[in-house]
Amino acid sequence: MDQAQALKELSRIMQDVLDDPSVALSPGTTAADVEGWDSMTNITFVVEVERQFGVKFKTAEIEEMHNVGDMLKMIAAKKS
Amino acid sequence: MLFNSYSFILLFVPITLGVYYAIGRAHRPASALWLIAASLFFYAWWRPFNVLLIAPSIAINYGIVRLLLRWGDRRPGASRAAFWGGILFNLGFLGYFKYSGFCLQMVHDITGASFVVRSIILPLGISFITFQKIALLVDVRAGRVTRVALRDYALFVLFFPQLIAGPIVHYRELMPQFAALDGLPRAENFAVGLTLFFTGLFKKVIFADPIAALIAPAWLQAAGGGHPAFFQAWAACLGYMLQLYFDFSGYSDMAIGLARLFGIKLPPNFNSPLKATNIIDYWARWHMTLTRFLTAYIFTPLTLSLTRKRAAQGLPIMGGRGTTLRAFGVLLAYPTMVTMGLAGVWHGAGYQFLVFGVLHGIALVTNHAWRLRRPHWWPAKSRAAHFAGWALTFLFVICAEIFFRAASVSAGIGILRGMAGLSGLTLPMALLPHAQALGLHATGVWESGTDFVQLWGWIGAGLFVVLALPNTLELLAAYDPALGFKVRPAGHTRVLRKLAWAPSFAWATGLSAVTAAGLLSLGRLSDFLYWHF
Repeated sequence: MDQAQALKELSRIMQDVLDDPSVALSPGTTAADVEGWDSMTNITFVVEVERQFGVKFKTAEIEEMHNVGDMLKMIAAKKS
Repeated sequence: MLFNSYSFILLFVPITLGVYYAIGRAHRPASALWLIAASLFFYAWWRPFNVLLIAPSIAINYGIVRLLLRWGDRRPGASRAAFWGGILFNLGFLGYFKYSGFCLQMVHDITGASFVVRSIILPLGISFITFQKIALLVDVRAGRVTRVALRDYALFVLFFPQLIAGPIVHYRELMPQFAALDGLPRAENFAVGLTLFFTGLFKKVIFADPIAALIAPAWLQAAGGGHPAFFQAWAACLGYMLQLYFDFSGYSDMAIGLARLFGIKLPPNFNSPLKATNIIDYWARWHMTLTRFLTAYIFTPLTLSLTRKRAAQGLPIMGGRGTTLRAFGVLLAYPTMVTMGLAGVWHGAGYQFLVFGVLHGIALVTNHAWRLRRPHWWPAKSRAAHFAGWALTFLFVICAEIFFRAASVSAGIGILRGMAGLSGLTLPMALLPHAQALGLHATGVWESGTDFVQLWGWIGAGLFVVLALPNTLELLAAYDPALGFKVRPAGHTRVLRKLAWAPSFAWATGLSAVTAAGLLSLGRLSDFLYWHF
């Protein structure tokens, strides 16, 4: 899966989690940019991403992801 | 040694600071050792015995940190044992001093068995110190901290501005700052540091202490089983909220200011909590470093593991409006109640603190449920909705705070009854005829109308400062007053632009007045509320 495809997939997961089809993520998006993306939403999002991409993040890694781009990099690193 | 005492402000700080910068340029490690020695002196001032308690605890924790660093991933079994041993040691240390009396009391209440409860003197700041030590163990184990020297560890635990009551700071945000210092005094650090310190002192001695004295009789009455009437109960409730805010945010300003004098930035602890328009937001603004700690080390790991477990079983997890009741209960309500219950008893050993934590837990869960399921027609972004949210949040917070202050749960309920008007009305003599004309029956009179006016005058002034003015960190925002502090979009008001801190004649005059007022009001010493936790 290339970056663009992965990004599209992340957007779709976030749309489901927030129940808001208008959400569009870009690599620079942070939690503060998306209404409703609080700490609880973040946990659900991370677990959904883990499930759909078949990866698992460590707690420290979750904290180190500051935007969507960081998450894409982390997924790519785990997939390779 | 109290922050609000002449010996601290006029002797301890100038001497510590002077020596620190005098030796700092030539010999940085020596200046760190000096800071450790000064902090130990500061801590020993009340009870030298405290040092004998904290020193072994530092040594043992440091030993465990070294073991974790050495074993790391190479010996996972031993590493895990050392980690949990360390956590248990710290919780046991805290538990013995803080909770053994309360636990025996609970056993007594449940089984009727009686014990001789020896009173144990709580070592100062133990709850805060313990949290920071636990956080470091977690960070080392998670690989977030990879190098720890004994001198750095001691400085991290003992650094006196944050030693007694926070802000609760992480090793990884404090120590790199010390490492990067060049030992040179900087005008900006002194300007910002002194502004924060004396503004904090002003909050403490001009607002918190006088209000505390004015509302003390009503609290005493409630503690003795009495029933404060309507106006006394409301004044007790509002006044205590203001006292607690000015006391603790004043302390935090002073702590952040003191650290800045040494060139160190601490994280923000308050961001105008009483302006919050919902309870989730309130906790993002009140005692922010505690919220951060509880979220990172209790709520998130618990919720994450529960969510993963449910996802692995193919059960529904949280998902916007479609969230099932069960998922909400297991993944949000349960971890929130656990976290807030612990937050309650962390403040103090007693049922009323548990009630306080549980009330806040229920409010947070309700807030989350509302976010998920609020009706579509609700005008969430309108001014009216914001105002309604603020009023509800404010009312809830001041009522829950009653249990924080009350001597017991029943004393707290006594205040609530009074606020609901169930204990009658007392009025100043001068108002009595007017009240009778309105058909109100007063059950008592205030001995002096001046007391009434003075009390409500302070409360009105306090509410104005808290609700209408920018906070200290916002005023100083251009000078980076606290780690990662940013003014929220809603905080950029015209008032802030007008009042923002600047090295100007107006600010120099204002701060001189604030400093003089603070220093001249130190006569009657009172300690900080959070120094008891």
